[in-house]
Amino acid sequence: MRWSTRQLSLMALLTAIALAIHVAEAQIPAPVPIPGVKLGLANIVTVWAMFSLGPGPALMILVARILLGSLFSGVMSLMYSLAGGLLCYCVMLLLRRFLTREQIWVASVIGAVFHNIGQILVAIVVTGTPAIVSYLPILLISGIAAGLFTGVAAQYLVNRMDKTK
Amino acid sequence: MKKTSFWIILIAAVALLAGAAALWLHFHHPDAAVANIYLDGECIRSIDLNDVTEPEIFTVEGEIGTNTIQVEPGRIRVTHAECPDQICVQMGWLTSEGGMPIVCLPNKLVISLDDVPAKIGDAEIDGVVG
Repeated sequence: MRWSTRQLSLMALLTAIALAIHVAEAQIPAPVPIPGVKLGLANIVTVWAMFSLGPGPALMILVARILLGSLFSGVMSLMYSLAGGLLCYCVMLLLRRFLTREQIWVASVIGAVFHNIGQILVAIVVTGTPAIVSYLPILLISGIAAGLFTGVAAQYLVNRMDKTK
Repeated sequence: MKKTSFWIILIAAVALLAGAAALWLHFHHPDAAVANIYLDGECIRSIDLNDVTEPEIFTVEGEIGTNTIQVEPGRIRVTHAECPDQICVQMGWLTSEGGMPIVCLPNKLVISLDDVPAKIGDAEIDGVVG
C-alpha cells in the first residue's frame, strides 16, 4: 500500500494521540476489580480513522498503538489487547457497510463488545479454565457502556471534522 | 442501511440479556460450594467451603510469582499476589453463597465455585504456610 506524505503524517499523529490517551487512561485505577473492564478511550481514534481514513490506515494506527502501548503497560497485556483490538477491528470493518454517517457510534458499541469477547477468549486459552466465561455478561454490559461513551465521542469528532473539510 | 432505532433495539436487547445473565449468576445459589483452585488449567486443590472448620492460609507458585490464598469457613480469598494489577486481591471473598471466580490472569490462577470437585491435575501446591 502506498500512502501520501500527508496521510502518513496524519496516521503518525493519530497513533501518537491514541498512545497518549492509552497511557493516560492506564493511570486511572480500575473502577471495579474485574479484569477487562475499562473505558478504552483510545478507541475513539480507531473509530474515527476507520470511518474517515479507511480500513488500511485504521489497522496501521491500531496495531502501532497496541504494540507501542505494551511497552508502557507490559507485554503481558499485549495478547489481550491484540486479540480484543483485532476482533473489534474486524467487526467494525463489517459494520461499515451497514451504517450511515450518523450511526458511527453503533460501530463503537458493537466493536467494544467484541473487544471484550476477544479478551475473554484469550483469557480462557491462557488460563486453560473455561469457568471464567461467567465474566462474559458483566463484560458485555461494561463493553456496551464504554463503547457508547467512546462511540458518542467519536461521532461528535466525525461530525466536527466533516464540517471543517 | 438500517434505521437508528434498529441498532438501539439490538444493543438494548443484548444489554438486557447480559444484565439478566449477570443477575442470575450473582443471585444463583449453588447446591454445593466447592472451591476448585486451578493453576495453569490444572486443578491443584478442591476445598468444600461448607466443610472448612479451621482457617488456613497457603501459597501457590505461579508463572510470575506467588498468590497467598486464605480459606475460612464458607469463604475463600486471595490476600497477597506478586502481580502488578492486584485484581485478584481486590476481588475479595468468594463465599459459599456463590459468585464469580477469582482470577489472577498474570499468574494463571483461577478459583471457581462449582458443585463438584474437579479432577486434581499433576501440579502440586508449592508451600503451605500457617
